[in-house]
Amino acid sequence: MALLEVTGLVRRFRGLAAVDGLSFSVEQGQTLAIIGPNGAGKSTAFNLISGLLRPHGGTIHLDGRDVTRAPSHARTRAGLGRTFQLVQPFFDLDVLGNVMVGALFGSATHSLPTARVDAERLCGQVGLGDRLHAPVAALTIADRKRLELARALATRPRLLLLDELMEGLTPTEEREAIALLGRIRADGVTLLLIEHVMSTVRDLSDRVIVMDYGKLLAEGTYAEISKDPKVIGAYLGTDDEAAAS
Amino acid sequence: MRREIALWGAFIVVVAALPWLGIAADRYLMFLANVMLMFMTLALSWDIVARTGQLSLAHGAFFGLGAYGVAIAYRSGHLPPLLGILVAAAVTGIVALALGLVTLRLRGIYFAIATLAFAEVLRTVALQLPELTGGTVGIAMPPLFDGDRVLSYYLIGTIFVVTLGASIWIRRSRLQYAITAIRANETVAAVMGVNVVRTKVALFALSATLAALAGAFYMPFITHTDPADAFDISRSVSSLVFPIFGGLYTSIGPVVGTLILRSLEEYLRVTPPWKEGYQVVYGLVIVIAVLFLPRGLVGLVTQRVRRVPWRSSR
Repeated sequence: MALLEVTGLVRRFRGLAAVDGLSFSVEQGQTLAIIGPNGAGKSTAFNLISGLLRPHGGTIHLDGRDVTRAPSHARTRAGLGRTFQLVQPFFDLDVLGNVMVGALFGSATHSLPTARVDAERLCGQVGLGDRLHAPVAALTIADRKRLELARALATRPRLLLLDELMEGLTPTEEREAIALLGRIRADGVTLLLIEHVMSTVRDLSDRVIVMDYGKLLAEGTYAEISKDPKVIGAYLGTDDEAAAS
Repeated sequence: MRREIALWGAFIVVVAALPWLGIAADRYLMFLANVMLMFMTLALSWDIVARTGQLSLAHGAFFGLGAYGVAIAYRSGHLPPLLGILVAAAVTGIVALALGLVTLRLRGIYFAIATLAFAEVLRTVALQLPELTGGTVGIAMPPLFDGDRVLSYYLIGTIFVVTLGASIWIRRSRLQYAITAIRANETVAAVMGVNVVRTKVALFALSATLAALAGAFYMPFITHTDPADAFDISRSVSSLVFPIFGGLYTSIGPVVGTLILRSLEEYLRVTPPWKEGYQVVYGLVIVIAVLFLPRGLVGLVTQRVRRVPWRSSR
């Protein structure tokens, strides 16, 4: 049984379908990347899966359980974590406090002392161990991305949705992030990522799905996808960076 | 944390000893002391809701509901005042729970308007049910403890300590993290696993219960109220101005804010040159404070000590 099963998902905005009959599944332990041109409906799909938007059609099953109508917090408690493309830290809390929110209320709800220990460990893991009490406003973009990741991990997700985590990172930071995600995956977390950086997709994903106009355009390994004429026409051919990689 | 508890412990000792520092026999000063603790309770209760990013304009109404509740319980239910206070507060809590379930899905200004409308509805209802509420004439009950203002001071003191305890406990519990997350961004808070609506509704109901305790004390203390007095919008305004002046999202802010503004208001009201138009001066002080102290008086101190408002270690 797939960990995540999305069937016939539809979401319209003023009559225009942003996601239009999307179906795919993610197996436990697998890393799946969603790629596609801007406006293909990738972020809308993420918002539907994490419960920030209600679908106009279709179903979402998490580990066999129908969560199509479940509120966001219930999905988080069922083991679904996510990061946001535009990182949105809680500015009134310090770094540790931000991560503690996830540890306190996520799928493994903790008491204050254990949440603190857990959050400290995660901050160390993402490289924020020396800035536990720094105000979030003082963090660089890269550090805010680390915080975003640590906070999502603190909810103890079995499935983690990463929305363009690499955006805005330097090549060095990107390599560090890939190594970090590799370790997270080794810990048994299933990853679903939206990514524009093709080297990341190549290095991390077991499987890739390509979206275009809210629909599934192609599906396969990175090698298969990058040779698919449909994909090259719709996406890779128009993206210099992607074509170069 | 220990230091904060010790500080509050010392404060409570001073509050408890106050009548014996020479004012127990002075009925005017004891009246002011009673009212001071009552407004501190109201300010602390309002701040609990504010922490979730909601501006409530219903706290004066919860106060009024508590006041009417205890009087109706006494006159129609023959409940002794002390029991009536508890019943009135519990009923108000249930009303707030229902109100919260309906309105707390609204955000920002819409919630504020809904709570304001609720206050107006209550005032109208009180006018329209004269058999129960006495209509425009209002409702009366015998004085609490036969008018003994020292005993009543200890009663409102107990209510104040309970409210203060709730205010401190929430900040020290895991709830604090949910609350701060909700205030920053409800969507992200939910993605972190926080049940946003349930947290907001629960705090709203708790806060209303505490505000109603203050109102339920006020009724037998003052012995008479009417719809214009019990549901006076100015009490809703006070309950938010005091914490804002003192410092939002803290326990000390509402207490200090109430102490200073209530004292100032009373001083201006009775002192000759200010007597006429004292409210203008009072209003001016508040406007200047809001303009120059965005974090309130407490912020003036803590900004020098800490860089973040809340540090997640002890």
